[in-house]
Amino acid sequence: MFDIALVRFLPSDTRIKFISLRWVAMVLSLLGIIGSIYIFSTKNLNYGLDFKGGTVWEFHLDQDPTNADLDAFRQLGPELNLGELAIQTIAQAGDKAQAIRLSVPKQSALEGDDNDDRAQQLALESVRAAVINLYPEVSKLENTLSVQVLGTKVSGELKVKGAMAVILALIMVLLYIWVRFEWQFGLGAVIALAHDVILTIGVFSLTALEFNLSIVAAILTIVGYSLNDTVIVYDRIRENLRKYKKKPLEDVLNLSINDTLSRTIMTSFTTLLALTALYIWGGPGLNGFAFAMIWGVFVGTYSSVFVASPVLLLLGVNKARLQK
Amino acid sequence: MLHFSRWKITLILGAIMLGLLFAIPNVLPKNVRDNLPGFLPSQTLNLGLDLQGGAHLLLEVDLKDGLEKTLRSELAGLRAALREERISATIRNRDDAIFVNFKNADDAQTGAAILRKQSVTVDSSVIGGGGKTLIIQKLDELHYKVTVSNEFIEYISNRTIAQSIQVLRKRIDPTGTTEMTLAKEGSERILLQVPGAKDVDEIKDRIRQTAKLGFHEVVRTDPVVLDLCVRDGRCPLGSVAYPQKRDGSYLMVKTREIVTGADLKSANEGLHPTNNYPIVNFRYNARGAKKFCDFTATHVGEPFAVVLDGEIITAPNINTAICGGSGFIEGSFTMESARELSLLLNAGALPAKLNIAEERTVGPELGADSIAAGKIASVIGLGGVFIFMWMIYGLRFGTFANIALATNIVLITGALSLMGATLTLPGIAGIILTIGMAVDANVLIFERIREETRNGRGPINAIDTGYRLSLAPILDANITTLIAALTLYFVGSGPIRGFAVTLSIGIVMSVFTAIVVARLMTSTWLRRARPKKLPI
Repeated sequence: MFDIALVRFLPSDTRIKFISLRWVAMVLSLLGIIGSIYIFSTKNLNYGLDFKGGTVWEFHLDQDPTNADLDAFRQLGPELNLGELAIQTIAQAGDKAQAIRLSVPKQSALEGDDNDDRAQQLALESVRAAVINLYPEVSKLENTLSVQVLGTKVSGELKVKGAMAVILALIMVLLYIWVRFEWQFGLGAVIALAHDVILTIGVFSLTALEFNLSIVAAILTIVGYSLNDTVIVYDRIRENLRKYKKKPLEDVLNLSINDTLSRTIMTSFTTLLALTALYIWGGPGLNGFAFAMIWGVFVGTYSSVFVASPVLLLLGVNKARLQK
Repeated sequence: MLHFSRWKITLILGAIMLGLLFAIPNVLPKNVRDNLPGFLPSQTLNLGLDLQGGAHLLLEVDLKDGLEKTLRSELAGLRAALREERISATIRNRDDAIFVNFKNADDAQTGAAILRKQSVTVDSSVIGGGGKTLIIQKLDELHYKVTVSNEFIEYISNRTIAQSIQVLRKRIDPTGTTEMTLAKEGSERILLQVPGAKDVDEIKDRIRQTAKLGFHEVVRTDPVVLDLCVRDGRCPLGSVAYPQKRDGSYLMVKTREIVTGADLKSANEGLHPTNNYPIVNFRYNARGAKKFCDFTATHVGEPFAVVLDGEIITAPNINTAICGGSGFIEGSFTMESARELSLLLNAGALPAKLNIAEERTVGPELGADSIAAGKIASVIGLGGVFIFMWMIYGLRFGTFANIALATNIVLITGALSLMGATLTLPGIAGIILTIGMAVDANVLIFERIREETRNGRGPINAIDTGYRLSLAPILDANITTLIAALTLYFVGSGPIRGFAVTLSIGIVMSVFTAIVVARLMTSTWLRRARPKKLPI
């Protein structure tokens, strides 16, 4: 019974003409990219604490907070002269009371200080004192879930580092593909990756989901994942170019995408399976990351078929050198 | 591709067993783990602060303060040296530099030589010197500019940070029993991580106080002079006004301390011998005892002020010469605040002010919830992938792939434990992501085998070709992902590095398990069963 081949879900021997859809794909991708850049330039990103600085304090009362409680917290912003406080509730595991996430905007530097680090700490202190004054139970240590405080200096550094990581990764990858394949492939892969990165940033700009360090990690992973896909297709293109010397490039591209199609679908599916589990059950801390990755799997899969491969047609491939 | 020599098989199985050995302690209960024989590894994964709870504080050392002090003491040194040789010159301190203007050419010539002599080797413990402390620049015949050299600044900075770390260690962990990280980070920061810290406010209080203690002579003055000093900062030379803790009113004292915190040998909290309220007892070292004895002997009947971080905590009268080498400070303490002050005095003063540039504190509850959520998501993700692989590749090849995946998870855990790496919340995300992506190599191989079977190859030939032709794309695809992960590791910071670590290990292990472990299983089965048709 071990040797029974089960139901065949995946299409085999497909002959879909992906490349002839390249103009449709190009219009779609360009629209997406232009749209992303437009939204990003008008709306920017909803930067999280990592990049924006300020204070985020998560705590819980002894019971779920009522709307009146939340309003009372909101009032503290103007009362303490701290600007507008963002208040969110977060469901907690088990039968624990709902957590309250209180964000204090970044405060400007105190007089006589050359940076604003001390101002953030003071803001945290004053807001905590005020909350404890209203709800004495919050003074219990176990009622605080987490505290994060960042000034301009550290958050600015994290921003630069994050951008650098993405750019550096793109350059390194370009070099690797260039060495292993031809420059056309390297350029094609990087165009596809830039496409993925821009669209991901566009989605975060559009949805105003919090953009923090873990999203940068997700973007780099998307880069890795999308590249994984692209390289598999490229590898097959190279193999087929050697095998079918007379075939026009467009046919070879179509053939190679079809050859690897079942693998592309399979891997995307298992990855999505794991990510969906992470999104649903992984807890609030990993929600944004899981969302970004799920989006990235779709975009990355699309781009290796509809962006990375057609680019080769545009750039042309030096068949003579590949066939050595 | 399908032949494995005997020693290769041994090596492969050995590697897996080793991984298993290091992974197992993580699933054992603590009492079993503690009783394992010594030759077995008992180390578990290090949990990051975001998972086990604790405080992460990035402290910025205010080096400007220390540099200004250095500049001032250099200025005093130059002045004294020139005066000794009776050179007439005006010396001014402006924009981080000292300007020396000589009165005449003769003085300038000998004076310049004296200035140069003041510039000494920065750190004599460094072989080859490490540069001079001062840079002396001749502006013209009579004018010289003296600046502190970069080497000296670096030396002072390093020393300040090293001293700060020492003092912090004594303050936060006076008994030396807390597990914590205290290390220099970058050029001007100190990273402090205290796992499982309960009261972060207490830690922060101990960081913020420089705990500079000084006993000062009180200057009697009329209210007008005092007012001018407090309001406009125009104080008589060598005097300064500090507020009193008792009522906030100001007292004028001599800037120079009689004795400082550095002259103390030890301090501890106690009760006042007659009135029974909390006090801080202290003992002087020999030098401090002598200085205080000399001072009190000549100032009987006058008050002196105990100043802590710019505040007068008490200003008692001297009734008699105090020469016993010990004393106490009273200042409306509670038992708790007396204990805190003793602790700070014992640890010593911080050489510079510390600012908290980044704070991330996680309570233990949140961390435990995150771990529980991560476990659930892993199990569900793993189960989903298992079922899916069986559905697509049948029980035979599905099982090969799933064993490879399970081995992968074991090896990741083993490798993380062995390396002493830290598992963070993003690290858990990395493991779950690996669960989804790790089957890719096997999928590639199996799809290729199917394809070759369709092309009319027999089982052995199809499998052999499948493995052979898949090797290059698997390596290319995974190396590129690895490049992205490693970039993240080197550029990223904090918990994100934990993600890069688990992802990188996961990628390497997935290649190993697919092209070695699964291949070994396939070839063993092939040899035993000699199938006519592949169940794939």
